Amino acid sequence: MKKLSILLTCALCTLAPIFAGGSTETAEMSEDAPMKVGVIYVSAPGDFGYSYMHDQGTIAAEEYFGDKIEVIRMENIAENEESERAMESLIDEGCKIIFANSYNYQQYMQNVAKEHPDVYFEHCSGYLDNENMSNYFGRMYQMRYLSGIIAGQMSESGNLGYVGAFNTPEVVRGINAFTLGARSVNPDATVTVVWTNTWFDPSKEKQAAESLLDGGCDVIAQHQDTTEPAKAAIDRGAYAIGYNANFMELTGSNHVLVSPMWNWGSYMIPEIQKAMDGTWTSQSYWGGLDDDMILLSPVSDLVPSDTVDAVMALEQQMRDDTFDVFWGELKDNTGTVRQAAGEKMSDGDMLTMDWFVEGVIGSAK
Amino acid sequence: MRFIIEKRNEKSKKMQVLIPIYSLLISFVLGAIVLLLSNANPIQTYAAIFKGAFGSNTKIQYTLVKMIPLLMCGLAVGIAFRLRFWNIGAEGQYVMGVIGITWVMQFWTWLPNVLVLPIGLIMAIIFGGLWGGIPGALKAQWKVDETLTTLMMNYIAIGIAEYLYISAWKAPKNNMGTVKYPDFAWIQRFWGKVHYGIFIALILVVILYFVLYKTRWGFELNMIGKNSEAARCQGVSIKKNIILAMLLSGAIAGLAGGIDASAVTHSLTKGVNSGYGFTGIIVAWMSGLNPFVSIVIALFLAALETGSDALQITMHLPSAMGEVLQGLILIPLLAGSIFIDHRIKPARVKGDK
Amino acid sequence: MEKTLVVEMKNITKRFPGVVANEDVTLQLHKGEVLALLGENGAGKSTLMNMLVGLYRPDEGEIYVNGKHVIINSPQDSMALGIGMIHQEFMLVGNLTVAENIILGLKDLPTVPPISEINEKIIELSKKYDLKVDPTRLVETLTVGEQQRVEILKLLYRGADILILDEPTAVLTPKESQELNKILKKMLSEGKSAIFITHKMIEVLEFSETLMVLRKGKCVGIKPTASIKELSEIANLMVGRPVLFELEKGPFKPGKVRVELKNVSVNSKTHTRKTLDSISFTIRSGEILGIAGVAGNGQQPLSEVITGLMRVNSGSIIIDGEDYTNKTPLQIIKAGVSHIPADRGRMGIVGDMSVGENLSMKKYRTQELSNHHMINKSKVRQFASNLIQKFVIKTPTQFTSAKFLSGGNIQKTILAREINSCKGILIAVYPSRGLDVGAIESVRQNIIAQRDRGSAVLLVSEELDELRTVCDRIAVMFEGRIMDIMDAQDASTEKIGLLMAGVERSEECDS
Repeated sequence: MKKLSILLTCALCTLAPIFAGGSTETAEMSEDAPMKVGVIYVSAPGDFGYSYMHDQGTIAAEEYFGDKIEVIRMENIAENEESERAMESLIDEGCKIIFANSYNYQQYMQNVAKEHPDVYFEHCSGYLDNENMSNYFGRMYQMRYLSGIIAGQMSESGNLGYVGAFNTPEVVRGINAFTLGARSVNPDATVTVVWTNTWFDPSKEKQAAESLLDGGCDVIAQHQDTTEPAKAAIDRGAYAIGYNANFMELTGSNHVLVSPMWNWGSYMIPEIQKAMDGTWTSQSYWGGLDDDMILLSPVSDLVPSDTVDAVMALEQQMRDDTFDVFWGELKDNTGTVRQAAGEKMSDGDMLTMDWFVEGVIGSAK
Repeated sequence: MRFIIEKRNEKSKKMQVLIPIYSLLISFVLGAIVLLLSNANPIQTYAAIFKGAFGSNTKIQYTLVKMIPLLMCGLAVGIAFRLRFWNIGAEGQYVMGVIGITWVMQFWTWLPNVLVLPIGLIMAIIFGGLWGGIPGALKAQWKVDETLTTLMMNYIAIGIAEYLYISAWKAPKNNMGTVKYPDFAWIQRFWGKVHYGIFIALILVVILYFVLYKTRWGFELNMIGKNSEAARCQGVSIKKNIILAMLLSGAIAGLAGGIDASAVTHSLTKGVNSGYGFTGIIVAWMSGLNPFVSIVIALFLAALETGSDALQITMHLPSAMGEVLQGLILIPLLAGSIFIDHRIKPARVKGDK
Repeated sequence: MEKTLVVEMKNITKRFPGVVANEDVTLQLHKGEVLALLGENGAGKSTLMNMLVGLYRPDEGEIYVNGKHVIINSPQDSMALGIGMIHQEFMLVGNLTVAENIILGLKDLPTVPPISEINEKIIELSKKYDLKVDPTRLVETLTVGEQQRVEILKLLYRGADILILDEPTAVLTPKESQELNKILKKMLSEGKSAIFITHKMIEVLEFSETLMVLRKGKCVGIKPTASIKELSEIANLMVGRPVLFELEKGPFKPGKVRVELKNVSVNSKTHTRKTLDSISFTIRSGEILGIAGVAGNGQQPLSEVITGLMRVNSGSIIIDGEDYTNKTPLQIIKAGVSHIPADRGRMGIVGDMSVGENLSMKKYRTQELSNHHMINKSKVRQFASNLIQKFVIKTPTQFTSAKFLSGGNIQKTILAREINSCKGILIAVYPSRGLDVGAIESVRQNIIAQRDRGSAVLLVSEELDELRTVCDRIAVMFEGRIMDIMDAQDASTEKIGLLMAGVERSEECDS
């Protein structure tokens, strides 16, 4: 026991100077020092879903800027005051710009932004902003519509399933777009929605998908952060529509017909550049096809080529702005007309969407 | 060589101090091994954790803020533990407290502004108290095992909370979480992030110390905990005291929730079940149920948690490493407590001298 | 008789912090003999034996078994040397069969034990030593005497040649004790030896060949039992001073009725037979009513219904003219009832609290020791030190945990607390059980003093001598019923013994 204590005391003594001298590495930046970029993920990039794709964007930025930036990642940060602490820590480390990727960070980010006017804040998927805080997101519904066409075409029963996280406008919009796409090629198709009330929970997501498959669905689409719903569909020999990343690659199965995907690098790289140049300004950014923020993965070889061609043609039309998803006349699933004939829905209406279009089985409330 | 563990004849004061220190050092060595295996410099890492918890005013503030609910949950659990009533339901009682205060904040809009916070906190106390009282009553009346009931009631409380913040009480624009409490009903901060709730927690420490060590009731609880059958023979009502202690235990856990919600989160939302109630068990256990020692333990555990952020930031270690290290540090500390009462010594083998 | 030494403990010293438990003790056990180890509680008997079975290790001295120097580190080691101990509390599992209990913990047993072979071996053993037990019965259905036989069989099955019995007769009826004696004699004739820890002096004469007396950790005498002429010889050795066998007892002057039970019955949860069956009696002030009976015939439930610890199904309990049936223990305490419970460690004291705190457990809620809801610690200290002095409780300080005291001093602590708070009614259950001569004397004297001061006392005991010398009237219980109540001077051992066994039920109870 005595020997042990001597040993440990020695260890402590060696520790002491490090505690004491720890403050030498101050965050003072010279001209050549890399700019520090903070990123906060709601889950670990290992989820192969939402945070994974954000990290792909971060990696793209790292490759683009090389040693001009230094990225500090914080993963698995809960959407509560813990996120505020994480942001403060990143600022302490000298981060000039901070990206945070989940909806419920926004309130905390806005608080921190107000206290640190010299730092740029980038919040993904929300609506709050500040002089030094932008929010950004993409028109994923366009890709959802295109994937809906493929799903509608490939379904034999016309009975599609959709595993949704929360009934937020973003998710509701995606479901509506998917349904409209499916019904554009199969007017009798229906989409059954199951809520999991979680973005990330592999077992719950899997369970939800299985209950849809049990109910006779033969294509499963999803708005979740893992590949579990798709895997459940593949295991039953049904089809899946991926999300976030290229699920065909991740699962190795061509039963994944197509995946609407994010390309966050397309936004992060110019924003970091602006922060470097001192030209950064606050904005509410909703990028679409023309900004390359969203894209469609390669389509499975099981899908007939004429369908693929039709989808590609439509994508071009959206790019040219000659077609959009939410054109009137649109009825909700109780029969009420929500959008008059011949009119394109405003961004405001889309961002607050809380109703399902005809053909969706379930409640958006 | 064989070893035998034998009970110490008397609790050694020296050991009570030395053993936790040795345990902590062993913890650090264990942690160092894991860190070395993941190619991180252990000394730098520990320094980073320390700096992450106490390295700047802001960091100290976050650590203190985190300490408040941990301390209160530790106190809450400690009261029940005194009776050998294994309340592992502080988590649920805490959540019910948040639900209670949120109910007042969101729906009792007719209240005068100055009363919203006090009544909200009282509601948190009532909700938490009832949530603790139910298993207490079940145990007292029908001898239903409290470990099961308190544990199950955690999940019920968390389920109710989820239903409320995801659906019934959800703020219109959010995907989850209730509307923010009105800002006149927030517990104010007085030093950076540190809010006045810390004084409630510290006053509670003093009050509980007084109640547990100086009053007739504290004496009765002590008797029940150490020999309930003898206490009964001395006219102490076990049933009544179990229910009372559990009402109090739940009330404190509920108040912890009420304070944290009105000072930090300002709403009922995801993360309400952030594990304070469970960590409170560790606080109570490691402090030997002493309210004053609980302060130190709660501060230590809070620092461990806030400090672990640094692992990601400065050491670029995955977030899971923080949890691994926390576990590694706690296990020897908990296991070490056995050696305060026992000692280990080598057994000589037959024949040798 | 040829004298082969089987066990020799030479110059054994064992120290605990602050105490020398054994000092330079030498013990010799010969083949085929019973050695009685006598001594007051705390004299060091158990410590000495625990060193022989490997629970403690001596600080000084050596142990020889069959002439070979040995070091015993664990009960397994001692078992391997053929030494086994039967503790006061049996270590049996109630819901296993006799055979299962016997093989429990055996190391070299196949995964699926050959039960029929084992049963045969047990039956063979029990025939050889007259140990009548059915190996297939569940232990919980056995009587205490039978359970003890299972413990003995357990040791014999493991091949023990030397048996240590710690107070084996404490739980037995006189008849069962006789049977145990026969079993021991049979085993001795088969070449076994035994050490017999006791403080009942009469037993020593019946059971042993040699007796060894310990006092304060030292050996104060080794004698062949045959050389003992007077019991007081042993008693004086044990206590170190002449012992009074005569108790000072004032004349019997019963006063008004303090406690009255009317047809009190309690249903049993497990048996169809009632735990208490229509019990009726009265206790007057200045009177000690003794309850005789073999343990487990309802004496303890009887004490618990009076003290409010057990609920009554029918009948009523009247204290000083008021109905106290099914009142709480606190209400009954406030009515003036003091209670010396049967199980000191479990019911009487809180071992992890200090002696002082234990002494204050009846009075802490009164103005004497507390002010409203606050306990006045300095008053408690004063109160405790007074009682410690008055009742001669041997404790290092009043802040010592009660569990560190000897059995006798624990009992004195309880006695001090209960007598101090007694308001005229005292329920004492086995108050002298397991105590040494000196402590028994003081307990009995204290109880009699209560009576002489005008208290009504209920004394439950299994010692007929105690009942006859201390009590004014004696009731005998059997299977939850009162068989008879008689004046103490009319109670012959024979008469009580028969009633205790349920024989000769007298119909004309004078209740």
